[in-house]
Amino acid sequence: MSERRPFHRPQPRHWWAHKPYRAYTVRELSGVAVAVYGAILLVGLFCLWRGPDAYAVYRRILASDWSFVVHAVLLAAVLWHVVTWFEILPKTMPKLILRGLQLPQRQVTAMARLVALVCSAALLIVVVALGAMS
Amino acid sequence: MSNTIARSKTIELRVLRYRPASDAEPVFVSYRVPYTDDMSVLQALQSIKDTQDGSLSFRWSCRMAICGSCGMMINGEPKLACNTFVRDLTPNAAVIEPLQNFPIERDLVVTVGDFVKKIESIYPYLMPKVPKPIEDGTYLQTPAQMTAYESFSDCINCMLCYAACPQFGANPDFIGPGAMAMLQRYNGDSRDGGQQFRLDRIHGEDGVWACTAVGVCSEVCPKQVDPANAVNQNKTNSALDFFLHYVRREQP
Repeated sequence: MSERRPFHRPQPRHWWAHKPYRAYTVRELSGVAVAVYGAILLVGLFCLWRGPDAYAVYRRILASDWSFVVHAVLLAAVLWHVVTWFEILPKTMPKLILRGLQLPQRQVTAMARLVALVCSAALLIVVVALGAMS
Repeated sequence: MSNTIARSKTIELRVLRYRPASDAEPVFVSYRVPYTDDMSVLQALQSIKDTQDGSLSFRWSCRMAICGSCGMMINGEPKLACNTFVRDLTPNAAVIEPLQNFPIERDLVVTVGDFVKKIESIYPYLMPKVPKPIEDGTYLQTPAQMTAYESFSDCINCMLCYAACPQFGANPDFIGPGAMAMLQRYNGDSRDGGQQFRLDRIHGEDGVWACTAVGVCSEVCPKQVDPANAVNQNKTNSALDFFLHYVRREQP
């Protein structure tokens, strides 16, 4: 007679809080900051659509001290998300074969970060230039 | 040899044991093992089995990180016992457990049946685009075409990636990183024509979409197969196939 009685060990409940999964958890949570910042911008658009008074209130709220703190935290989280998201990028695409050799994943990550940096800087310059002209 | 061990240090190995005939649940049993600097964890377990407790069960075969049999949790990390030196473990003590996320058969031996079924399910063989008779010669391939899939063919089915995958832990039906690496080994092969058969196996919630890109599977892989890459690039393929199936003409 078989004595088989496989024992099923439960998955640790807080696996996401421990190494090596903690980095993944922080990366995913920083994605929430991206959504929150997007929501703040959407509220601004909505206020703009409602009229000058609503938009003035929105700007006053943005200028408050706690808004500054919130934005500083969001900026840090979004920057972290950008940096870590591009670490995952090479995992999501086929291997890049150049002249018969695979392009190392860290080079893909570095190029993507550079493109993000250049695009962000260009956008900042455009916004500052438009602000100066208006 | 015996003189070398007699002069060597000792380490306490806390091994999670489970004897289904007598244990209601797994229990830790401690063994103190003399070791030398060139000794692997597998050799330490063999030493326990030879000199202290012959009933200790674990799988092993090649002793050189090729067969993929001796995967286990060593201090909480999935590792090959043959590929881990005792000298690198925490001084004087280490915890040895069976692979996480798998049912325990006995001691350090886990159930592999579901994993084998997953491997079988993704057609783990070349399905030539155009079959040709032997007299027409071999199927040719350039080095660049081989590079596209070669690392995935290095998988030794050790299942460390499954032990590291929290999504497989939450959903044992998830096809998982190892089987996906095997799938990509064939789907990425320029000689193969079975891509559609394999893609049809991985569309559902138990397919690639159960993966949340944790990425630890690739970190623990002893062969640098990068199964996370196999899973995640097939999310794109699966999504593309979902939209293309509306416009694709059915094969007769």
